Amino acid sequence: MKETEINWTDLPQKNRMERTVWQAGIFAAYFAQFVKMRLAYRMDFFVDTLAVSFSMVIQLAVLSTLFSKVKALDGWSFEQVLFIYAFSLLPLGLFNLVSVNLYRFSDQYIIQGKFDRVLLRPVGTLAQVIFESFNVSGLNEILLGIVMMTYAGMKLGLDFGVQEILMLAVLAPSASLVYMGVFLAITSVSFWHEDRMGLAPPVYNIIRFSRYPITIYSLPIRIFLTFVLPFAWVAFFPATWFLGSEEFGRLALLTPLVGLVVFGGSVLIWQRGVRNYASTGS
Amino acid sequence: MEPLIKVRNLTKDYRLIKKREGVTGGLVDLIRPRKELLRAVEKVSFDIPAGEMVGYIGANGAGKSTTIKMLTGILTPTAGTVTVGGLVPWKQRLQYTRHIGVVFGQRTQLWWDLAVVESFRLLKKIYEVDDATYDRQMKLFDDLLEVGQYLHQPVRKLSLGQRMRCDLAAALLHRPRVLFLDEPTIGLDVLAKENVRIFLREICEREGVTVILTTHDLGDIEQLCKRVIIIDKGRVHFDGELDNLRRRVGRRVRMTVELRDSATSGELAAITAGLPVTWDEVQGLRHHAEFNRVEVPGAEVIKRLVNECHVLDLHMAEQGIDEVVREIYRQSGREAS
Repeated sequence: MKETEINWTDLPQKNRMERTVWQAGIFAAYFAQFVKMRLAYRMDFFVDTLAVSFSMVIQLAVLSTLFSKVKALDGWSFEQVLFIYAFSLLPLGLFNLVSVNLYRFSDQYIIQGKFDRVLLRPVGTLAQVIFESFNVSGLNEILLGIVMMTYAGMKLGLDFGVQEILMLAVLAPSASLVYMGVFLAITSVSFWHEDRMGLAPPVYNIIRFSRYPITIYSLPIRIFLTFVLPFAWVAFFPATWFLGSEEFGRLALLTPLVGLVVFGGSVLIWQRGVRNYASTGS
Repeated sequence: MEPLIKVRNLTKDYRLIKKREGVTGGLVDLIRPRKELLRAVEKVSFDIPAGEMVGYIGANGAGKSTTIKMLTGILTPTAGTVTVGGLVPWKQRLQYTRHIGVVFGQRTQLWWDLAVVESFRLLKKIYEVDDATYDRQMKLFDDLLEVGQYLHQPVRKLSLGQRMRCDLAAALLHRPRVLFLDEPTIGLDVLAKENVRIFLREICEREGVTVILTTHDLGDIEQLCKRVIIIDKGRVHFDGELDNLRRRVGRRVRMTVELRDSATSGELAAITAGLPVTWDEVQGLRHHAEFNRVEVPGAEVIKRLVNECHVLDLHMAEQGIDEVVREIYRQSGREAS
């Protein structure tokens, strides 16, 4: 006698905590697979590491040249600017680490139809896409950011106690949620409009604006970076908290909220997009 | 008895953007795209009881894959409903996908750069397959599909036949209740096709899995399915037993005969007089005839030809799925008018 009804609940029911642990386990497995895959192409891995280290050296050289000419910027000292710049590398590194697949989403997942496979697995779609690939050079950015921040912090005589470290642990990931949110919204557009070029590269270039104190820009750009494309929250506002700025430091405390709102809104757009997914012909 | 899979008036429209030509055309497209609605699937309804193996067939672009993608929750339909064991695929995706297995012949579901066994381990984790079940399933796949020998090779290095076996194994690792197969034998050689069919028959008998299979190969249907659903231009044209289909369409064959001395189609028709055989116009030494095997025994035609002419070579080909579909489509068109 064959079963006529599927017992859909024959799997262990999980509470929220168990679900989170299960999902974390899956993503750890994805990450382990990614590392294995990279090691399988050993030469690739080697060349990549070399290239990233080289680009770090260049970045440092450019910065020191730049700051050797400029002593202060609109009332911000060289060390302060350096600190803000250094801070910006933490959320950027975190974002780069997990965003590779958002960058190539339209091409690989929509146009080549890889998204079909994603939809067939009993795991959240966004999490699968993000965790299927990583960009290890993000770790280099984080490392560089920490080294530069320590240097600038020491020069400025900032004390870094437990409170500061905790704040860093909250603010840096929150700031990277702003990046994630913005690029996730752009990525989600490809559910409606297949476009290989995409909006991402021009927006990616705007990130550069966010590495400097926004007070150096004109009012329209400041408004734009605070409210429209809120990149002021990824470095300037949170970094000024550590610099003890009265004026902007308080805004830093809003960073987690901004991060959650921007990212949460984009997740909603993504979910609508998934329902609109049209797959490929075959 | 309540059917496991219920499909009612399932409809899917695609919105296409018709591109204009040239650079100016591209610019105009940006501002005012020409949208066109294409109905890929129109009011498809059927029921499938648990444990049945159903062939879902149709020509290219008939709407097969679109239907499968709605049944598996990949696509959201424009209208209509689907329930599988009470779940709506595209709404309860996370719960639903734990109980189904899907194989797309055209595209692998495995991770391209990983060794096969790594893909299996990842799937084990995702579907929460316990160790005992995993070991039992892996042994079964090794016995029936001989996947053991490829386990440590990366998927990209496998041949199509090897990859298909691994894909089948991957789709069945978590012991799904429903299996969707989209062209599972496409591009495989005769032996590999046979292996896949034997495996599917075996696994369905053992596990009582419900299967929906799309294919271009009549052989798949004949060996696996009792029931066939034929779809064309997005609509269901036939839904019933394979034997019924046979009775309606017959078994049309196309025979090619090579003769030492050329003969006209009239002369050949005279040889097969009294039998419903149609001869094409002659081209060179090859002569083509068509007849229905149900009406005419092939041996009779061959006997007469060999008696009357000097036959150098002879070849018979059974009509493919496309012709069966065309025939059914022609018949249902005639009924409609």
